[in-house]
Amino acid sequence: MIEERELELFYGPQHLGMVGNFSITLKVEGDTIVEAIANPGYLHRGFEKLMEYRNWIQNFPLVCRINVIEPDSIEMIYAMGVEKLAGIEVPERANYIRSIYLELARVGSHLFGAWAYANMLGFDTAAQWAMYHRDLILDLFEELTGGRVYHIYINPGGVRRDFPKGFKDKIVKTLHAIGGCIPDYDATFFNNALFYKRANGIGKINLETAKKLGAVGQVLRATGMEYDIRKVEPYAAYDKVDFNVPTREDGDAYSRIWIVRDEMIESVHMIFKLLDMMPEGDVWNRTPNPLKWRIPEGEAYVRVESSRGELGLYLVSNGEDKPYRVHFRTPSYTHGLPILEKLLKGANISDVGNIMISLYVIAPEIDR
Amino acid sequence: MDRNQIKKWFKFPAQMGHKYSLWVTYFCTGCGIIEIPPTITARWDAERFGVIPVATPRHANLFLITGYVSVKTLKAIIKSYEMMPDPKYVVGFGSCPINGGMYWDSYNTIKHLDRYIPVDGWIAGCMPRPEAIIIGVTHLWTLIDKGMASGYKKYREKYKYYRENQEKVLGKLEWQPLFPLKESEEVK
Amino acid sequence: MATFVPIKRKRGSKMSANKLQEEIGSLFKNITLKIAKNNRIFILAQKEQILDILSFLKNKGFDHLELISCVDWIKKNQFEIVYILTSYLLEDEKSRIHLILKTRVSRENPEIMSALPIFENAEFYEREIYELFGVNFDGNNRLIPLFLDREYKIPPFRKDFDTREYVKNLYDSILPVEDKNK
Repeated sequence: MIEERELELFYGPQHLGMVGNFSITLKVEGDTIVEAIANPGYLHRGFEKLMEYRNWIQNFPLVCRINVIEPDSIEMIYAMGVEKLAGIEVPERANYIRSIYLELARVGSHLFGAWAYANMLGFDTAAQWAMYHRDLILDLFEELTGGRVYHIYINPGGVRRDFPKGFKDKIVKTLHAIGGCIPDYDATFFNNALFYKRANGIGKINLETAKKLGAVGQVLRATGMEYDIRKVEPYAAYDKVDFNVPTREDGDAYSRIWIVRDEMIESVHMIFKLLDMMPEGDVWNRTPNPLKWRIPEGEAYVRVESSRGELGLYLVSNGEDKPYRVHFRTPSYTHGLPILEKLLKGANISDVGNIMISLYVIAPEIDR
Repeated sequence: MDRNQIKKWFKFPAQMGHKYSLWVTYFCTGCGIIEIPPTITARWDAERFGVIPVATPRHANLFLITGYVSVKTLKAIIKSYEMMPDPKYVVGFGSCPINGGMYWDSYNTIKHLDRYIPVDGWIAGCMPRPEAIIIGVTHLWTLIDKGMASGYKKYREKYKYYRENQEKVLGKLEWQPLFPLKESEEVK
Repeated sequence: MATFVPIKRKRGSKMSANKLQEEIGSLFKNITLKIAKNNRIFILAQKEQILDILSFLKNKGFDHLELISCVDWIKKNQFEIVYILTSYLLEDEKSRIHLILKTRVSRENPEIMSALPIFENAEFYEREIYELFGVNFDGNNRLIPLFLDREYKIPPFRKDFDTREYVKNLYDSILPVEDKNK
């Protein structure tokens, strides 16, 4: 019998390693992976083609479904792109409200990431707490915008409506409830010795390889480089508030998840500071009639920092009332495709889910 | 459990057993990845209704299609559906499986899911709230009681037509037909 | 509670957009340069010069290839391939330079050299453009399907592919199972 030691496995679309459907074809020899070929496309809807058939304003409900966990940063970047092309100014209070809204979304998204990672490794208690705390934040969003998961709140020119009465106290109360539980999270999950043993040294990447393959976000910050679009190219009200960008040096899964935890705490502090500094004023510069609004010809490239990394948008307008070409540069594209294929080479087969989740990728962003 | 139910437990024990322990295949297809975790965790606990997510379709008897279905996913869904043991129920979630929803003009998503696999009920919303999911499960109990949730029987009888529809979209299918194609009209 | 490690920060040399424009203009002939506000530099070049310009810019410090995109100008019968470059080095915070490098390719037989030897993460962007627009990248030998599962006569993102008609022809022509016996 000829000993064929290489086996081809299909790590199919239904698995706990990725948020969303994404499959990999693994070539395995014994217990080690020899080659990994990523196979996205289960969630491809052709957004960029669909957006060419709808008005500028009609695209807002469509565009927020690209990233299902945190739709707010995509609304923000599309509104920024449209404002840049059309030359619209945003009032001061709207900038502060946008920053608070985006930071709340960031905390919610990091809690979802904590659920996914803790569930993957088997720490179910911390996972259930994280999901419950994320629900408290979704209650805040429901009061502000009317929807739990898809809140179409940012318009070009500002935000849709102002904070309701008593909303500021509710934000403070919810964040105190979440922040007060951080020592519990530390004791069960983040400082746990088992977590250290399972995540230390897994999926290690160094700075040069990360830069060559186009890494952004937590993957790059875990290798020692402080690169955050909120500091590099500030937008909304981020240049008026003082905050740290957590960075680590090791580049493995352990550092990436610790950065997620530290960012959550930084966001909570940032929201408190922004709430104190918020000025009065109106919140929306009216745009023309959306059914007849034409934007002058041009192109624009804008960037924001979503919870997973740097999100970019290339927008081309032809002078009509519909976009001519839209192209999103999502952070999960470079993390989930070239970096994943590189990190899985030589890894153990039981670490596949671990590596995939620690890269903090979600599948709808890859496929769009 | 109230006293009316005790009679039913004696008359139809298998049906009551199916109803109160619907195990779900944990296959989050599209946008449903956001509203399924809140339903199965601590706040809106679905386990008190008997609904637990399981890893393999061979253990499950409820299939929740949570959101839009693309062409690649349809292959995986058909394979998983045919792997589940009888009796099995399918519930479509959100407005995308009903008639295409928000992506009605996309070249890669399936509109009208019930032309490819039999669907017993729909839950409307984009995404439906966790309370809506739980109400949907209780409605499914009523349908099971009345004997109206018979999608799996329809699949067995009309398998020829389902497979024709599947092949129109996916091309020649690689797996063998689940039920014999020629005699499906004669065997009753 | 773990302690923070010292943050590593590299400060690059302060490069102004005007100086860069002069350098590029002197080295490469036959290109058009334009500086928009906020330090965005638009370069329009011929398709044969693209690899030289990209490697010159990478040596200058622009090592982050953000995006390779494609725009279908059907009225002029051309595709426009767009490369967007920024830099990882931290410069003065308000003066980040973005470079948007564009080139035109004919629509009948679209072909261009691949940027894979210079930037390693260009492979997947080029695969996507090959699949959705039909542009061939010479030198990238891994142009296998990425998202789509079926063959399309016209690549789906081109402007002459009408997606609503495609849906009407394919999906609406499939009848529900109840209507089939009749």
